[in-house]
Amino acid sequence: MTDRDPPRPGDVVPESRLREGGKNASGGDGAGADGIDRRALFRVGLTAAVAAGSVALGLGLRARDGHGRGKTLPKLKDHRVDKVQGALEMAIVRGPDPAANVRRAVEAMGGMGRFVKRGERVVIKPNIGWNRLPEQAANTNPEVVAEVVKLVAAAGASKIWVTDVSVNTPEQCFARSGIEKAAKAAGAIVVRPDAPAFREVDVAGKLLRTADILFPFVEADRVINIPVVKQHGLSGATMAMKNWYGMLGGQRVKLHQNIHLSIVDLASMIKPTLTIMDATRILLANGPTGGSLADVKQMDTIAVSSDEVALDAFGAGLLGLSPTSLGFIVEGMKAGLGTPEWRNLKFEELGG
Amino acid sequence: MRILLFAVLAVIPPSLIGTLVWQGRKTPPTEHAPAAARPSGQEADATLRALFEAPPAGVKLKEKVALYDEKGLFDYIDGAAPIFIDRHFRKLAASEMATPEGSDLVCDVYDMATPENAQAIFDKEKSTTAKFVDGWPEAIAGPMSFVFHHTRYYAKLTAFDAKAEAALPVVARSLKEKMR
Repeated sequence: MTDRDPPRPGDVVPESRLREGGKNASGGDGAGADGIDRRALFRVGLTAAVAAGSVALGLGLRARDGHGRGKTLPKLKDHRVDKVQGALEMAIVRGPDPAANVRRAVEAMGGMGRFVKRGERVVIKPNIGWNRLPEQAANTNPEVVAEVVKLVAAAGASKIWVTDVSVNTPEQCFARSGIEKAAKAAGAIVVRPDAPAFREVDVAGKLLRTADILFPFVEADRVINIPVVKQHGLSGATMAMKNWYGMLGGQRVKLHQNIHLSIVDLASMIKPTLTIMDATRILLANGPTGGSLADVKQMDTIAVSSDEVALDAFGAGLLGLSPTSLGFIVEGMKAGLGTPEWRNLKFEELGG
Repeated sequence: MRILLFAVLAVIPPSLIGTLVWQGRKTPPTEHAPAAARPSGQEADATLRALFEAPPAGVKLKEKVALYDEKGLFDYIDGAAPIFIDRHFRKLAASEMATPEGSDLVCDVYDMATPENAQAIFDKEKSTTAKFVDGWPEAIAGPMSFVFHHTRYYAKLTAFDAKAEAALPVVARSLKEKMR
């Protein structure tokens, strides 16, 4: 073999020849006797390094978004109680006194003792999202909240939290709504949404995988939802299922990108013991913020059930909306969370 | 064989980054307003803030004025935000004020980029039972609220008691005079 002869299988190729002008013995770029020379190895190595870096970057981004973390996050408990044969599934009470309406409706459902046992820890979730007065109907009525706290206390709860993640400044919302004062006076611990109040949990939803939620929802034995009935610019209405947005930390814009599915994701995650829907005053327009009393209608109604889809369907009717026109009700039904045909439940209407 | 290997390795990084970024992020909000009609950002922000520099007549500022952009708007008005964004919302200045007697009111001024957009959101939000202010057809006085639009601004004032409600028309007119 001469220096310029192409190597044959089994030939030993001098290293100096491999370095010649970037050309290999066979005249191609980078190929040595075994098909790969240093330049080729360098390229493979560089590409692999870039790929590995990309994987690391991707995993970093993924982890920052709360996906694919190694640690196991807690899931929320199922806070529901067993159904009682023959018991009402929904109670609707109308009357001028909000507290009396709550008492009558809960009594009709079998009393608070059916839902809360002695020594249990209970979290109550009103809507305290807005820097608004009770008359402006953007938040749950404080008299309703106070009465629920009293009933839960009378049932023997060892701890009662009242909490919400406000949209406006929490200090203003908790004070202006009248809920902080009323709940404390009734014996509850009021938890404002300060940073240390949140725990990360596994949502395992279609859109939401993990979420930072207020700690009472992780620690409580029982959960009672007390939404107010309002028109809502994006979802059409905000009532029982939508009220769970208020246990989440973080930027709200993300949740609104597919609002109906994210409402159902949250409603699937939290299985409340009872929902007491406040329709003492409802907001017919410019929700969820409201402000003008011209948009408020006095309804003097309380509806109670453990079926949030049924309650939302009932509330939609109060707003003059067809339940099936609201995407989250349809999706909630598909997800098996309840029925929009609330009249098919065993229900009772009182007062009026 | 080498070419295939290089091709596969070269495709991995952009695909991986693209997929992972796509998983966690959605398309940013669409820009609706014609660019030519929109005031420039810094100048418009300064003009918006200037509405509150000297507090409107009869009230004092309780807190620093807060500005919200398209993304932040959800953190202030939640699900009402898309109605504004669809009508070319640019920025919101929100301020809590108080009368000398200590009655609180909230003043939200939305920069809607153009007078047409401001009128559009006014028309969208006005109640069917709205009571227009005498001599000011672009203003509505509802119980506990006062709403108006002027130039490219849409203003919503909310009171929390009767004294604050009485101050709303004065504050509204004071703001209107500063809106250019």
